[in-house]
Amino acid sequence: MFRMKISDSKTFKSVLTAISAIVDEATFNIGPDGIKLRAMDPSRVAMVDFEMRRTSFDEYEVEDESKVCINLSELLKLLKRAGKDDVVEVSLDKESGRFMVTMRGRYTRTFNMPTLEVSEEEVPEPRITFNVRVTLTTSDLQDVLKDAALVSDNVRIEANEEDMVMVAKGDIAGAKIEIKKGSDALISIEAKEPSKATFSLSYLSEIVNAASDTSDIVTLEFSTDMPIRLDFRQRYDGKLSYLLAPRIEVE
Amino acid sequence: MPAKKAFLIYERPNLNEALGKIEEAFIEQRTVLIVGRCWVEYRGRASSKLKPGERIVIVKEDGSLLVHRCKGYEPVNWQPPGCFFKTYMNDDSLIVKAIRRSPRETVMIYFDQIYLLSTFKLIDEGEFSIYASEEDMQKAILLNPSIIEDDFTPIDYEKKVEPGFIDVYGVDKEGRMVVIEIKRRTASKDAVLQLARYIKSIKTSAGREVRGILVAPKISREAWDLLTLLGLSFKRIDPKKCSEMLRKMKDKKISDFLQTEEV
Repeated sequence: MFRMKISDSKTFKSVLTAISAIVDEATFNIGPDGIKLRAMDPSRVAMVDFEMRRTSFDEYEVEDESKVCINLSELLKLLKRAGKDDVVEVSLDKESGRFMVTMRGRYTRTFNMPTLEVSEEEVPEPRITFNVRVTLTTSDLQDVLKDAALVSDNVRIEANEEDMVMVAKGDIAGAKIEIKKGSDALISIEAKEPSKATFSLSYLSEIVNAASDTSDIVTLEFSTDMPIRLDFRQRYDGKLSYLLAPRIEVE
Repeated sequence: MPAKKAFLIYERPNLNEALGKIEEAFIEQRTVLIVGRCWVEYRGRASSKLKPGERIVIVKEDGSLLVHRCKGYEPVNWQPPGCFFKTYMNDDSLIVKAIRRSPRETVMIYFDQIYLLSTFKLIDEGEFSIYASEEDMQKAILLNPSIIEDDFTPIDYEKKVEPGFIDVYGVDKEGRMVVIEIKRRTASKDAVLQLARYIKSIKTSAGREVRGILVAPKISREAWDLLTLLGLSFKRIDPKKCSEMLRKMKDKKISDFLQTEEV
């Protein structure tokens, strides 16, 4: 059983939207310390890792560890109705087993929705050594991806200590985007060794666009031909990061 | 080869006999093919009922289900891979029940007669490749213009002219304009005429000599005669080779990296 209250309904909505880029049916682990979710998208190319600790909530009452699976697009439909001054409370109704969403503002409304069968699949945290770590603003990253998407459906990201270069090669046209150390777009860059990997632009853009409302700053971590980690700095006590598998050329 | 015979076929088995065989096949994850008289109930995001009739039911080894009627290429009821199956007798009918966990959906198939039951394991590792499209051929030419001829330089593609769109156009090493029309199958007389129309439409504005090249894997006899008559040329290009020239990318999966513990 649980009950939690959050007055910052905007953050709550935006973080759920960000998760919904990867999974529609989300199984949350709800424990005394907070809420966690780690899930892969149906094609298993991308993963989301989310945590919102109890201190992020105005009120947080959780008796013991439990799992609850919710259809996010259904929940988001309800949460869209929450105004910015509304306090949102979510809980599990003991009797009916339904998920309850209450919005308190000028008046009070309580919605109930079904919970779904929880996925028992435990997604372990992949242990990957990242050789490059680049921090930039989320809006710059969004722009860069828009540039690359003009010519191709995938992008090669290369980085060393001095700069990060994104190369998009379409069948007909190409693009090269350079972000140098010291430029306004680059907050920091660290590289243990020069690395490069190629990623699907549709996945990258979807992730970045979905998460852009939750965060202004994103840290990219990657290594040659390994997954890229996108860590969006959150305004609450917790984390939101994604892992995206690389693209490889096939014969 | 596995010890178990690859194909088991039962003609007009009685329902109890069939029950045992189907159960066994589900346990061994064999593909099951049942031809018989059945009715179907589906419940899930929607619900449907299919009245009794003679049908072909297939349960594949990955847990997907197809119920086919005797017409049409699409199944009337189906479930995606990953369902689990139960089979049991109830009121003189044999029931095959497919359950999908999420979203929760069930398909119940009630048989009162089975004409044919077959269970088997198939080995199929062949790759499926889709034959190249005209668009792939166009991209391949733009990427590697030398497949047309040495020193051919493309200028534009999908260029709008009065009668339509020129697939690719460019210049050859002597500075003559080249108009290319691409066909992915045997080029017909129509293709030649189409090319001739494009050339005619740009000839006046081009102000220089215009060559026409028909690109296809093959050309028909009469198309060839017409082509020669009109002073156009033909370049044999295999669509499949074109698609091989294009870069193909595939996403790896996160699960590929879950086991890699690097130090």
